Amino acid sequence: MMSVALFKATLKKNWLLLFIFFGVLFMYAAVIISMFNPDDIAQLISMLDVVPEDMLKAFGLTTAITDITTYLASWLYGLLMTSLPMVYSIILGNRLVAKAVDNGSMAYLLSTPNSRAKIIITQGVYALLSLAVLSAALFGIGVAMCEAMFPGLLDIYAYLKLNVTTMLVNMSVMMTAFFFSCLFNESRLSLGFGAGVPIAFLLMTMLGNTSDQVKVLKDLSIYGWYDPVEVVKGSNVLGLNLIYTGIVAVLFIAGVLIFKRKRLPL
Amino acid sequence: MIEVKNLTLTYPSGKGIFDVSFTVKQGEIMGYLGPNGAGKTTTIRALMGFMYPDRGSASINGLDCWSKAPEIQRFLGYIPGEIAFPDSMSGVEFLKFMHDMRGTKDTKLQNQLLEMFELNPKGKIKRFSKGMKQKLGIVAAFMHDPQVLVLDEPTSGLDPLMQNRFVELVLSEKQRGKTILMSSHIFEEVEKTCDNVLIIKDGRIVEQSDVQTLKASQRKGYVIRTKEAGAMAQDLKAVGFEASVIGEDVVEVFIIAQEADRFIKTIAGFAVMDLDVKAQTLEDVFMHYYSREGER
Repeated sequence: MMSVALFKATLKKNWLLLFIFFGVLFMYAAVIISMFNPDDIAQLISMLDVVPEDMLKAFGLTTAITDITTYLASWLYGLLMTSLPMVYSIILGNRLVAKAVDNGSMAYLLSTPNSRAKIIITQGVYALLSLAVLSAALFGIGVAMCEAMFPGLLDIYAYLKLNVTTMLVNMSVMMTAFFFSCLFNESRLSLGFGAGVPIAFLLMTMLGNTSDQVKVLKDLSIYGWYDPVEVVKGSNVLGLNLIYTGIVAVLFIAGVLIFKRKRLPL
Repeated sequence: MIEVKNLTLTYPSGKGIFDVSFTVKQGEIMGYLGPNGAGKTTTIRALMGFMYPDRGSASINGLDCWSKAPEIQRFLGYIPGEIAFPDSMSGVEFLKFMHDMRGTKDTKLQNQLLEMFELNPKGKIKRFSKGMKQKLGIVAAFMHDPQVLVLDEPTSGLDPLMQNRFVELVLSEKQRGKTILMSSHIFEEVEKTCDNVLIIKDGRIVEQSDVQTLKASQRKGYVIRTKEAGAMAQDLKAVGFEASVIGEDVVEVFIIAQEADRFIKTIAGFAVMDLDVKAQTLEDVFMHYYSREGER
């Protein structure tokens, strides 16, 4: 099902990209966690007074903060933990398939006794695993930092739940970019759709958050189906997680099937 | 054995290959010739399983090229027409990667080939010259000792010395019973290595014959420097040669082998300052043939 040799080569070529995004997200997490002050949450909220309300909503920032868990759900997971992995997914998704077809190097992969399906599955598994590693590392570091600075305040189970759902939504976006990468032979088109669709989802969610009149936009976006603060407050996300997992599976399988059957201009 | 039967593969533009049939027998070297855009690479795409045909079939050692592509790759060596390596790898890493992907370990042949082509694979492929990239492509195609080879313009970018090395390599592989399909632009290369030749034009096979027969009908071009260029061209045309004045004091003429005597006698009356054989590509050699086909 998978090629170990290709997986190693893909890892070697792309680990730095993952590391850069991990570094940036780690920095944001560190700053946001260290800004928390359990004794004066009101002061924290007052920082947002200067920001117009619509903009707060657009960026997923809520003033209904009660503790560090809801604070992180809003300030860190409201936008940053989805938008940055989205950029990562767009870049990686294109690199893994369409770019290799476009520049012709796919010919070398296919001139070995590995089927197209095996090659694409290997690339897709790398894409998903890299996001899983990113999520796990950020979760672990987040918990460690909270425990070091504010022992006992973080609701670790709720935080884990939030991280799992966020990871699944990011994987759905990754598979969207990956699907277009399998569909198109040109980087130009793969990047255009692979970036365009997720960015549209993100903008739709931000707009939908600002006003009830355009809430439908949010409902149509895969980013808009959950509220991070509600997730940590205890809303049931099992059904939602299954939906995201289904999207990941369908897009992955569709990408493999399309790539298996199409003509490659190599 | 490579078997192509009534293969049609068209692109949305309407170009492509139409009803192409040929067989390359075990131990045979087939040259595949034709002008740019005639369909050589398209045929090779079908053989490699990169594209499925509209009609007809292509098979290698009895395995269908589209549905059994991974199985075929176990005993196939391939040099792409436009070589593109996975970027960011070094030459050493690439060869190791190809071994890993093929599940082969023996590097004896690889080292012999590197030595034969005087290639040092260290360093990033991105920084390699065109010739070095081509050599790396040759090493990667031959290093797992494949029974069948599909080579698309294998010597492009190589200097004459290395082209000769390549001819030696192909001849020694032929001795070992390899089956080879090779597209090329260099007549000498085809002449020295191939048993038979296929000529494709506008997506259709227009000629299939052995190299000796083609050589007999081969035209040679000569470039003559003379003060009386105009008069000489007229005289040559008068006796039926295709001649033209191509520059100041320069006449270009095309003849086939059995006309050599008549040609020399015709120009003997002029003061010839210089006589050169025109450097010829296969296109030139078969231009006559191509244009005749075109008029039909």
